Amino acid sequence: MSKRILIVDDSASVRQVAGMALTRAGYEVVEATDGEDGVSKLTGKLNLIISDVNMPRMDGIGFLKAVKAHPGYKFTPVIMLTTEAGEDMKNKGRAAGAKAWITKPFQPQTLLDAVSKLVIA
Amino acid sequence: MSNAAAPLENDSPPNENSATAEFCFETLPIFARQIENVRDQTEQAILALSTRFRGIVTSLDGAVAASQNVSGDGGRELTSAMDEGRQQLLKVVDALTAIRESRAALIGEIRSLGVYTHELQDMAKRVEMIAFNTNMLALNAAIEAAHAGGDVGRGFSVVAQEVRHLATASRETGKVIGQKIAVINDSLTHILGANEKVTERENIAVKDSELRINTVLEQFGGMTERLLGSAEQFRRESEVIKEEVMESMVQLQFQDRTGQILAHVAKSIEELPVVADSLVATGSAADARRAAQDYLAEMANSYTTDEQRRIHEGDTAGAAKPQAAEFF
Repeated sequence: MSKRILIVDDSASVRQVAGMALTRAGYEVVEATDGEDGVSKLTGKLNLIISDVNMPRMDGIGFLKAVKAHPGYKFTPVIMLTTEAGEDMKNKGRAAGAKAWITKPFQPQTLLDAVSKLVIA
Repeated sequence: MSNAAAPLENDSPPNENSATAEFCFETLPIFARQIENVRDQTEQAILALSTRFRGIVTSLDGAVAASQNVSGDGGRELTSAMDEGRQQLLKVVDALTAIRESRAALIGEIRSLGVYTHELQDMAKRVEMIAFNTNMLALNAAIEAAHAGGDVGRGFSVVAQEVRHLATASRETGKVIGQKIAVINDSLTHILGANEKVTERENIAVKDSELRINTVLEQFGGMTERLLGSAEQFRRESEVIKEEVMESMVQLQFQDRTGQILAHVAKSIEELPVVADSLVATGSAADARRAAQDYLAEMANSYTTDEQRRIHEGDTAGAAKPQAAEFF
């Protein structure tokens, strides 16, 4: 059974690139367009979550906190995939429970390597 | 002018400042909306492009998998089927050769029959000779019976006459046997002659079959090789195109960054009239300068990309490069 990954990003083109790379690598992908949409997609099995930081309605750090507060997903690893490269924001992500930080633009292989390293059974 | 050293806000008559500000307040939101429109259009176009690229990559994946089936496992299956076909066709040639050998054995048997028919011919001649000799003896007996005369001579003459009849019948039978054996010999000679022609044609047919089978197999072998070569070349070139398309999709991520930067610029332009109003409302030029610096600092903090920060500081900034993941 393939592993299921949630991608939360307001940029459809980023969701396309990340989604295609993951699907080709055999993962099942669920997409959400912002943090709020991401929270609504916290259902069923999720082996990993990838989230942008700057998004409308609920940003990535707010979404990350919501994930870590959710009893069903607090142990689900989260990778932040963002244009944010500042140390302050990285520290916020680390403090909120992110497992990795990838700065956009990204190479699909970089994302796949990080996913295969962190994805849970 | 006598008031050249006075603050800037006092250089122009109040109604002129007000007209300039009004002009700015009306135009800046237009600029912001234009930028927002460009950002939306770019985003939609990039999304459409990346969706199509994704479709192209998916199609190429299918094409590569199909050509892999031909050049990979399918290619091995094709080669294996060709070998199997070759074996089966060569079995047909073997079967033809076996039939030819069986026929040769049969002909050997027929030739050996020829030896027996010659012996039978001799035996028939000997029967004729014995009948002739018997007839001569019966003739002599009849002569002796006539010399003897009387009842004894007549009785002996009857016996001699019957022996002559038997000898004649035996000689006739011997002749018929000889004739029948001659007919059989003729038939055997005819069969052997016809067989030689059949064998000759059969040899030619077997050699021709072998040649044709090998020619057809070589042609199919060549076609298979060319087909496998084409499939492999197609697969390699498709992989190259796929990698190029995927790399193009990676490059399209620029839209996410430029979109964020443009959205920030548009928002800042939208806010500018309000900010300008608040600066005017501060009263003194020094307060206005401080408020402006606070606003710029706040703006710097609200940036999401490094290039925005560098440009804010007065540096130049090119396109961002992909970086390695950082694990916490």
